[in-house]
Amino acid sequence: MKSKVIEIRLPDLGEVEEVRVVQWLREIGSTVVEDEDLLEVETEKTTFVVPAPVGGRLTEVVAVGGATVRRGGVLGRIEQPG
Amino acid sequence: MPDVVITVEHNPVITFGRTGSREHLLASPTDLRREGIRVFEVERGGDVTYHGPGQLVVYPIVDLREHGRDVKGFVRRLENATIATLADLGIGAERRDGYPGVWVSDRKAASIGVYVSSWVTRHGLALNVSVNPAHFALIRPCGLSVEMVSIRDLLGRKVLLDRVRDMLLERLTERFGWALEASNLGEILGGARE
Repeated sequence: MKSKVIEIRLPDLGEVEEVRVVQWLREIGSTVVEDEDLLEVETEKTTFVVPAPVGGRLTEVVAVGGATVRRGGVLGRIEQPG
Repeated sequence: MPDVVITVEHNPVITFGRTGSREHLLASPTDLRREGIRVFEVERGGDVTYHGPGQLVVYPIVDLREHGRDVKGFVRRLENATIATLADLGIGAERRDGYPGVWVSDRKAASIGVYVSSWVTRHGLALNVSVNPAHFALIRPCGLSVEMVSIRDLLGRKVLLDRVRDMLLERLTERFGWALEASNLGEILGGARE
């Protein structure tokens, strides 16, 4: 069975256009469950914790701490077992 | 669990947010000891903040899934409720794009810092009612060279914190569509465990 890779995207937070990645709360390779806290992003004194869109293995961090990400931008990837 | 709003007046304390820089703490350990001020790191956004007597702190614990998942809209409601409260007191205040909080010309009357996890909010806003100005001088608020101001200084007379609290709660209630019920922390925590 082939595994499936799901992109972790910045959710729509209302009128927020871009955020800065503060830190990842999980490391590459770790197993995460759906809706688990994955990383913190910050915009104008508000910190938002991005939840895992699906359960699986965190295989890639695209936006590292300090990176700026626009609305809908890719933050990382999760591999789901097939 | 319904939305909960906690209001509190803190003992003197300085807190650093996630992006806080220790350089923005201007007070020496001796100053801090003398004034009885404790220092903590917290997980909210933002830099260094002072809380203390004469400051009305409001922590709305709100599930944003019930409020359109609008993070910026949440902050704007806090700002607008504060601006309306100040207008009720005869003070003209405004919000500034890119600089969260509530401003009276170049001075800051209220600070805002929010942390959202699982779409539920933590932290909130701090409105200066009658804060000791010497305590604000111990930090560089939010890392900016911003001057803080209290309602007392703007009006030139003393205003009771409890009165401002009731006024602000009314303005928040309008904006969040709450039906406010008074409670105490013990009841709330007991309810959450059930």
